[in-house]
Amino acid sequence: MEVLGNLAQGFELISTWQSLTVALIGLVAGIVIGALPGLTATMAVAVLAPFTFFMESVIGIPFLLGIYKGAIYGGSIPAITINTPGTAAAAATALDGSVLARQGRGRLALETSLVASVIADLIATFVLIFVAAPLAAVAIKFGSPDFTMLYLFALTMIAGVSGNSFTKGAFSVGLGMLMACVGLDPVSGYQRLTFGSVNLLGGISLVPLLIGMFALSEILIQAEKYGRRILTETAGDDQGRGLDLKTLKGLLPTIIRSSGIGTFLGALPGLGAEISCWISYGIASKRSKKPEIFGMGSVEGVAAAEAGNNAVCPAALIPMMVFGIPGDTITAVLLGAFMAQGLLPGPLLFQQHGPILYGFFAILLVTNLMLLVFGLGAIRYLQHITRIPPGLLYPGVTVLCFAGAFAVNNSTFDWFIMVAGGVAGYLMRKTGVPIPPLVIAMLLAPGLENNIRQSLTLSDGNYAIFVESPIAAVILVLTLTVTAFFSWRSFFPTRNPQPQ
Amino acid sequence: MSTNWTKKLFSAAVTAALTFAASAAMADFPDKPITFVTPYPPGGSHSLHAGVITTVAEPYFGQPMISVIRKGGGGAVGAAGVLKAPADGYTLLFGDPTINSLRPQVEKLPYGTGDFKAVARINYSPAVFVARADAPFKNLKSMIEYAKANPGKLVHSNDNKNGFTYTVFEMLKFKSGTDMKGIIYGGGGPAIAKILGGETMAYAGAPSVVAEHIKSGKLVGICTTDFEPWPSLPDVPTCKSLGTDIIFHFWRGVVVPKDTPDSVVSKLSAGFEKLVEDKGFLRLIGKINSRVDFLGYKEFDALLKKEQADLKALYESLK
Repeated sequence: MEVLGNLAQGFELISTWQSLTVALIGLVAGIVIGALPGLTATMAVAVLAPFTFFMESVIGIPFLLGIYKGAIYGGSIPAITINTPGTAAAAATALDGSVLARQGRGRLALETSLVASVIADLIATFVLIFVAAPLAAVAIKFGSPDFTMLYLFALTMIAGVSGNSFTKGAFSVGLGMLMACVGLDPVSGYQRLTFGSVNLLGGISLVPLLIGMFALSEILIQAEKYGRRILTETAGDDQGRGLDLKTLKGLLPTIIRSSGIGTFLGALPGLGAEISCWISYGIASKRSKKPEIFGMGSVEGVAAAEAGNNAVCPAALIPMMVFGIPGDTITAVLLGAFMAQGLLPGPLLFQQHGPILYGFFAILLVTNLMLLVFGLGAIRYLQHITRIPPGLLYPGVTVLCFAGAFAVNNSTFDWFIMVAGGVAGYLMRKTGVPIPPLVIAMLLAPGLENNIRQSLTLSDGNYAIFVESPIAAVILVLTLTVTAFFSWRSFFPTRNPQPQ
Repeated sequence: MSTNWTKKLFSAAVTAALTFAASAAMADFPDKPITFVTPYPPGGSHSLHAGVITTVAEPYFGQPMISVIRKGGGGAVGAAGVLKAPADGYTLLFGDPTINSLRPQVEKLPYGTGDFKAVARINYSPAVFVARADAPFKNLKSMIEYAKANPGKLVHSNDNKNGFTYTVFEMLKFKSGTDMKGIIYGGGGPAIAKILGGETMAYAGAPSVVAEHIKSGKLVGICTTDFEPWPSLPDVPTCKSLGTDIIFHFWRGVVVPKDTPDSVVSKLSAGFEKLVEDKGFLRLIGKINSRVDFLGYKEFDALLKKEQADLKALYESLK
């Protein structure tokens, strides 16, 4: 029970109005940043981190942790209200969330997303506090072949769950992987598909493409409806019921399972919230009693996706704190902020700076509570976003899209990528090819490619390396099972045709 | 009459103002904010240093310095982007040996080593060769013996192709006449994760990356690619002292497009020279486990030319 003592000490350390105020400011700012398409948590934390260098650690770090957490949650708000995920990690949330909002059940979707996020975050934070070291010791044993199989599994899940047709999903995944090949070859350094353009040397920028595909294409769809005056679906039932205890109780197993998945995947260095939300969503759809309504307004789907991506946030701190290895770009920036405070993440961190670390853990718990209270209050107003006249809402979102696409890399070339993404996204929506697989495949393909090539370099080109590791072999069997399942369902559909 | 007078006075005032503004522009560089471009993603040592530099810069240049992260292509996108900006000293590149000396010579990139002009070196890190505590070698001598006895079996982590940690291993293989197997992980984080996880046996990384793991006993320090042992790792000898002459400094420095006027370059260099003595700067640079090894534009230029020639010679000998 030494941990509890430490935690009590930690709470004492951060129980100053300064620490709590900055954490709250960070949280609110983070939610806004996450909710605006194009402003990313990474960017916000990277821009603001240098300012914390000059603050005391009990003020600077809580501020950054608040932003981190707020931004991960914030992405789900526009995903639900206007079918435009603010971050890639919220793409799975949009599948069901936006449908619920259109059915006039926006409040239910928003509250489910909030509560699932808070519970998942809480579970993952407790894992961070109590078993960070043992979990990190397991996670670090994951070798390149194991990661290869994990990526493959995630891609299969995404292709299978995000549309009506596995074939169209797989097509979208393939297209995304092809687009990810643009840029410098990670191993040999040769240029691939850059057509001699410096702008493509770094590959197709993900965030502008994501903004175009999700946000701009939605705007085009809405503009088309508006033009034809068929925009009749303003939520009639704006007094929509929220999340009641009975529904929550039914959702708990999904939330807990997804939290577990998110926590474990988050602890693996290099895998982010984007993978976890899809694996959680995919597993939830298979375990659900009502798999047929996934993608057509399933509350369970929203809960699974949101629990899956929010659990990653505290869990990604595990490899960072235990080994000094950042799990994603945000934790890499946080690592820098820790170092600037004289807290060197790594094996000696807990021994040397125990009290203050527990102070940060306490902040994670406190901000979670703040998120719940603040979120429930805000949702009363947020649910009305769907009632803003489209003539005002969508031009506003368009401006944000352009601003966001430019801000990521300070590059005007990214506007072309965004617009091209918007047009492509519009065509995909029209033809029923799901967009999320493309974007997520583009995000994951470099990791998959690197791990395949690392494995094959290790084995001198012998493919047996992918089944020799027990972890990889198990994941491979899972992937094959899932592929068989999806293919079966694709050829022998049992679903009712989608009502449109 | 009075209108005429007013006109004359007005035109005189305008002329004076314009003349003053023109001369001020020449004398008072900089008269607008300076952009400081980091060509790597946030979170690495470059962006960390850039954050520290740009936050304390304003008093030393009289203008704010804006940190811009322009990642992609392992630094090539940012470097090429800076060359597209006017050569007026308002756009600076935070460079290093990989993007400024090595890769333009061995890869097909849209710029060459001669496209940049040296402004100031802020500091450098050596590489520290490390091995897993349970590896079949504990020092440089037994590491080379193991590699000789088992060609291609000594597996080591690398960051990026032609990167800093990649190059020092190439130097080691060349100088010892051995064959080892390097796996490219795309960054210091995964590279260190895979040696800790047991997929590889050895690695060479910056002191800030490996020091804590050496202190905790998970990794063993083999040798350092500097003239003297690194202060935070006094027990790790230099490779040179062990008979394998590998010196490699991963410097962090400021460069500008080559057509930037010399007067501007010397002004910038002087600004950075004062900046690196700032108390807040020194405190933070110490906290991020770094230090200052300042070189002004003349000395830095000489170093850069020598380094580019040395690396060219190394790569030609490897062919």
